[in-house]
Amino acid sequence: MHQFSPGFSPRITIATTIFILCCLLSTARIVIDAPSPTRLHPDDIAQRSDQSFASLKAALPQQGIVGYVGDSDAPADYYLAQYALAPLVVDHSPDHQLVVGNFSAQQLPQGLPYAHLQLLKDFGNGVLLFANRDAK
Amino acid sequence: MAIVLPVLLCLGCGLSLVSLGYTRHSQATANLLLCTSLSFGFGLGIFSIIFFFARVFGITNVVALDLTVFAILLASFFFLRSRVKTTVTAPETFDGPNWLHRLLTASFVIALCAAVYAAILRTLAHPRGDGWDAFAIWNLHARFLFLGGAHWRDGFSPLIPWSHPDYPLLLPAAIAHFWTFLGYDAPAVPAVIGSAFTFATVALLLSSLSIHRGALPAMLGGLTLLATPSFIAVGTSQYADIPLSFFVLATIVLLRLHDAQHSPGPLALAGVGAGFAAWTKNEGILFVAAIVLARSLLVRPDNSLQRQSRPNAHLAPLLLTVLPIFLLIAYFKHFVSPPGDLFSDPPTMLHKLLDPLRYWIILKWFTKEFFRFGHWLLIPFPLLMPAYYFFTREETSGQDLRDRASTLALALTFAGYSAIYLITPYDLYWHLRFSLSRLFLQLWPSAIFLFFLAAPRRADLP
Repeated sequence: MHQFSPGFSPRITIATTIFILCCLLSTARIVIDAPSPTRLHPDDIAQRSDQSFASLKAALPQQGIVGYVGDSDAPADYYLAQYALAPLVVDHSPDHQLVVGNFSAQQLPQGLPYAHLQLLKDFGNGVLLFANRDAK
Repeated sequence: MAIVLPVLLCLGCGLSLVSLGYTRHSQATANLLLCTSLSFGFGLGIFSIIFFFARVFGITNVVALDLTVFAILLASFFFLRSRVKTTVTAPETFDGPNWLHRLLTASFVIALCAAVYAAILRTLAHPRGDGWDAFAIWNLHARFLFLGGAHWRDGFSPLIPWSHPDYPLLLPAAIAHFWTFLGYDAPAVPAVIGSAFTFATVALLLSSLSIHRGALPAMLGGLTLLATPSFIAVGTSQYADIPLSFFVLATIVLLRLHDAQHSPGPLALAGVGAGFAAWTKNEGILFVAAIVLARSLLVRPDNSLQRQSRPNAHLAPLLLTVLPIFLLIAYFKHFVSPPGDLFSDPPTMLHKLLDPLRYWIILKWFTKEFFRFGHWLLIPFPLLMPAYYFFTREETSGQDLRDRASTLALALTFAGYSAIYLITPYDLYWHLRFSLSRLFLQLWPSAIFLFFLAAPRRADLP
């Protein structure tokens, strides 16, 4: 027989034991849901942001606002560009003197809908820099 | 090695501030753990404020500013330390049989190892944060603060959609402060800060429950938090929800210490904790309003339950310390960030408030998410905990009157969250889907703390 401390009844002991076991169940989920150490690959955030835009960033002014055009509907592409190019403000609009182009590498824009954009440089991987002739 | 100095300065500032108002207890280990976890969080809070001031006033020598603040805090500590009256309260022990202690200790160690394992792997898999908010809000703001120089305010331009430029700066400014020491924007800094907040929250919960209730309820509380899968996942995602949960818990823990010790020190520190909660996320502002209102309604100066409205002079130390941080937030909101989008269209807000369908949708989602936010396996803890409470209730004296104010504060905060969903300018389903579970997590550590203050508890204990 177990010796119970004063005030610690079998009822509370059983309840506490069940509580602990339920916690261990969810602990198992934490381990199961964790990325596998044998197949651990960092996500592509760095590749899609800092690495993709490193050359372009060096060619841009250090402060100010640049425009942005892209062919992807996924807003993540814009945010990754903004993250990479900070402290420049990237406005999702072509109405700026310098406009960053962010296109999927396999589909470089053949006929841009923005006739007033002039390609200044292709940095590869779909990253382009345009000048907007109409912007003030 | 470049990281050693800022870490020491950050912890030093935090420890000096905490030591100013904290009365040590007889339990050395719990005492050390509580002081260390509070020092970490408060140190980061101080670091963020120092960096924000440096940016606002164009001060480039941040190290000198750090050393000055540290020296002032240290001098204040030595000057004021002897004046602090110490009242040590004996913890309410509730010790079970030895085998149960061993089972609980082993389970706690297993849960801790599992959490550390998952945190490390998640951080390695997502070095720049897991989810958009990490790089589109928090780390983006940190980059603007660090790289922007004199143009740091550009980061809070309304031209950057969805970056929530009105979000407070505790996390981004603290990250930028560390980057300044390193000289570059190392992704490891936000990753380490995120994980450190996660485990500091566990340490704070464990140590504070140990001081008030003894080892068994403390480990049960710590285990409950560690075994919440979404707490570990969000904690390592580089979002601000777990840091906010840390400061909410710190405030409630310090208020409990104040109630136990009848000393103004912890109350003043609770004000700092509440202020830092507001400086972490906008939801923290709601929490501060809730805690002040709840304590004004329920707590008398002698810490008994208040039945009549009376002047709230007993809240003065809390209000005095929360006020400077609120002034800082007001400055940020007025002079740096553009207006937030929540209250931008009053007529539409009113229309939404009168739409009964929105109330029904919110109620449905809150009920559903209440049982799912932790991502538990098989048994949701919000079911398990009441079951545990009712199974042991014959031996439970119920909640201490002094803790009802904190419980009411959490309830009021939660009600505030519901009100925000009512008027949200975003699509309601989208907003609920992507934020509600994290709102639950913000209050979860505090809810666990308040729960294990009451259960299991012998009725004959004070």
